[in-house]
Amino acid sequence: MSLHDPVPAPEDAGIQIRNLTVSYDTDRGRFHALNDVTLDIRPRHITGFIGESGSGKTTLAMAMMNAIHNPGRIDGGSVLLEGAGDVLRLKGEELRRLHGRYFGFVFQASSNSLNPLKRIGAQLMDLGRSHGVTDLRALLREAKTLAERMGMDGDRVLTSYQHELSGGMRQRVGIIFALVLKARVIILDEPTTALDMLSQQAVLEIVRTIHQERGLTTVIITHDMGVVAEMADRVVVLYAGRVVEEGPTQSVLRHPRHPYTRGLIHAIPRITGNLHDVEPLQGTPPDLATIPTIGCVFRERCPIRAPICDTVAPTPTSAHGDGIVTCHGVDQHD
Amino acid sequence: MGLINMIEVRGLVKTFPARGGLLSQKAVQAVKGVSFTIPDAGAVAFIGESGCGKTTIGRILTGLETYDSGEIYYNGQNLTSLTPRERQERLRKIQLIQQDPYAALNPARTIYQTLMAPLTWEAKRQQKNRDWMERRAREVLELVGLNPDVVLGKYPHMLSGGQRQRVVIARALTVQPDVLVADEAVSMIDVSLRLGILTLLQALRRDYGIALLFITHDIAAARYIGHDGRVYVIYQGEIVEQAATDELIQSPVHPYTQALLSAIPVLRGLEQPGPDRHIPLGEFALAEGNGCRFAPRCRFAEQRCRDEKPPEVAWQHEEHRHTCHYPTPRRVVPEPLEAKS
Ligand SMILES: Nc1ncnc2c1ncn2[C@@H]1O[C@H](COP(=O)(O)OP(=O)(O)OP(=O)(O)O)[C@@H](O)[C@H]1O
Ligand SMILES: Nc1ncnc2c1ncn2[C@@H]1O[C@H](COP(=O)(O)OP(=O)(O)OP(=O)(O)O)[C@@H](O)[C@H]1O
Ligand SMILES: [Mg+2]
Ligand SMILES: [Mg+2]
Repeated sequence: MSLHDPVPAPEDAGIQIRNLTVSYDTDRGRFHALNDVTLDIRPRHITGFIGESGSGKTTLAMAMMNAIHNPGRIDGGSVLLEGAGDVLRLKGEELRRLHGRYFGFVFQASSNSLNPLKRIGAQLMDLGRSHGVTDLRALLREAKTLAERMGMDGDRVLTSYQHELSGGMRQRVGIIFALVLKARVIILDEPTTALDMLSQQAVLEIVRTIHQERGLTTVIITHDMGVVAEMADRVVVLYAGRVVEEGPTQSVLRHPRHPYTRGLIHAIPRITGNLHDVEPLQGTPPDLATIPTIGCVFRERCPIRAPICDTVAPTPTSAHGDGIVTCHGVDQHD
Repeated sequence: MGLINMIEVRGLVKTFPARGGLLSQKAVQAVKGVSFTIPDAGAVAFIGESGCGKTTIGRILTGLETYDSGEIYYNGQNLTSLTPRERQERLRKIQLIQQDPYAALNPARTIYQTLMAPLTWEAKRQQKNRDWMERRAREVLELVGLNPDVVLGKYPHMLSGGQRQRVVIARALTVQPDVLVADEAVSMIDVSLRLGILTLLQALRRDYGIALLFITHDIAAARYIGHDGRVYVIYQGEIVEQAATDELIQSPVHPYTQALLSAIPVLRGLEQPGPDRHIPLGEFALAEGNGCRFAPRCRFAEQRCRDEKPPEVAWQHEEHRHTCHYPTPRRVVPEPLEAKS
């Protein structure tokens, strides 16, 4: 496969996000969906973004690609992509080319991103053409192999229209679209949400294999801690547009430092162990309009709330060796 | 477990007919002779892959789908022998809660209007007045843990996923159901809110004797609807294994059950994979002939499995049943790393 851009993307495509702030204009006013996010996405790692609905996971992924559209706006910060500079400074054709060279994105509920009037194979060829792929036949072969590795009949998938595929099959087709071009950064937004456990494992397995084969930078967005635990080397816990904890997955799962992370982990229905060890997370997920603008954003739901949390926003402190946690209460609790 | 079986289903069969024309489709036998019971105030879970027939059974039980053959007994009465009108009246007390709390509620109706629709019917049947309806609307909301003053005037989009699913459950409660059929009722809502809904379903069982048919592919969730629950594992329209929930999780004997349980994600850092974990991946052929349907995917299959259909038999005691020629208990689910420090 040859891309018409002469300069290939570098092998290691790490991403450094600095002070990233994004807001949405709504009928109730303009609100921050991401607030001063600073984060390193490491090359050759799988990073999981986790958090409840509305915590800003999709917004963060889109902002990383400079793909926030109206009514959203990137208010500040930078996103340094290895070999490409600050993504937020690019626009137009330059940005489009960068997307083609670097990024493979699987949209949340990917069924909606397919064209209902064209067969899957034809849509794949369109995708290839728009990215300057000359050997379309090889592209289709690759797509067929990917389909089969995910437990589907490759020929049938390529000759089908979207409505002839089950929800789970459509979701896997979305993943094929992201993997078939030789992107360096793969972002999967809720890739397995509608799948049963066996299909989920088939999808995770192929993502893991291709990640390793190609030495990719992979981001998986999910609200399912199980998916993060199986897949991710590192996990980023988001709450109300802030990174509240970040670190190696096993360390975060084993010794969560932030009360929100602890709550999330304790709320998972478990297959073994005492039923009483789990408990629902208190309160409801945050709503942009009601996120406190001073103090800690989590305090209303926090079991270890202290007076300082009402007035001062906590700043990130080091945790998990090379990770961070953003909470006033950490010192007392470790 | 109660003494009577609220629901008893024998040899249920459902085939969706073939379709001709441009988008032709072969006939699909979605349910192939399924038998199960739901005890009074009991909890029963169906697990199995996408397309195995779980929803079809749930829809038949709630009167939304017809069946070709088999018998359904409801409190000892054979529904198959009732007049359609009587059958409908009986099935009214079996309420379906669907997967998607976003699609289940009409976006143009307030929660008040959503609840008033079924309550108007109920009021007519029971010859009650408007006051009774208003009281009842507040009551069912309180039962599901919502504050009527806060939610009654709201539209669905103003509520969180968990709150919406609670409204759907409240609506089902307006008819004072005997059985709730919860079809993937928690899989679309945030993990943080799932446990709250599961606890609610468990409380409805305990406090009001409402039986539960819990359809899910997340078998961990099935543990939280009651300690006395029973799980049926369905493969291509047939029940292949059934047992008390924790027994099925800890010592499954059918390789398909073992495959499903192996696919549960391991919380690395807290758990380790079960020693016998094995996930069958990739393409497989559909079974042909008269053998075991799972044989083409089974790593333990012998010639006998391809030739001879395994009958349903008991494993160690009557309550644990399976259809495998070579049943072998295996430890496949994640195990805790160690006691928490
Ligand atoms: N186009 C938009 N217009 C207005 N607000 C938006 C828009 N997109 C997102 N938001 C708001 O921004 C916040 C973050 O949304 P985002 O989609 O990033 O969350 P998420 O973590 O991906 O949630 P989910 O798990 O539900 O996908 C939410 O409060 C959401 O309501
Ligand atoms: N109305 C219909 N017409 C034709 N075939 C149908 C119809 N409804 C279901 N089927 C087929 O019957 C089989 C069982 O479907 P069903 O929806 O009961 O599965 P399920 O176990 O609920 O799956 P999922 O986990 O994906 O919800 C599938 O092969 C499905 O394609
Ligand atoms: Mg999202
Ligand atoms: Mg279903």
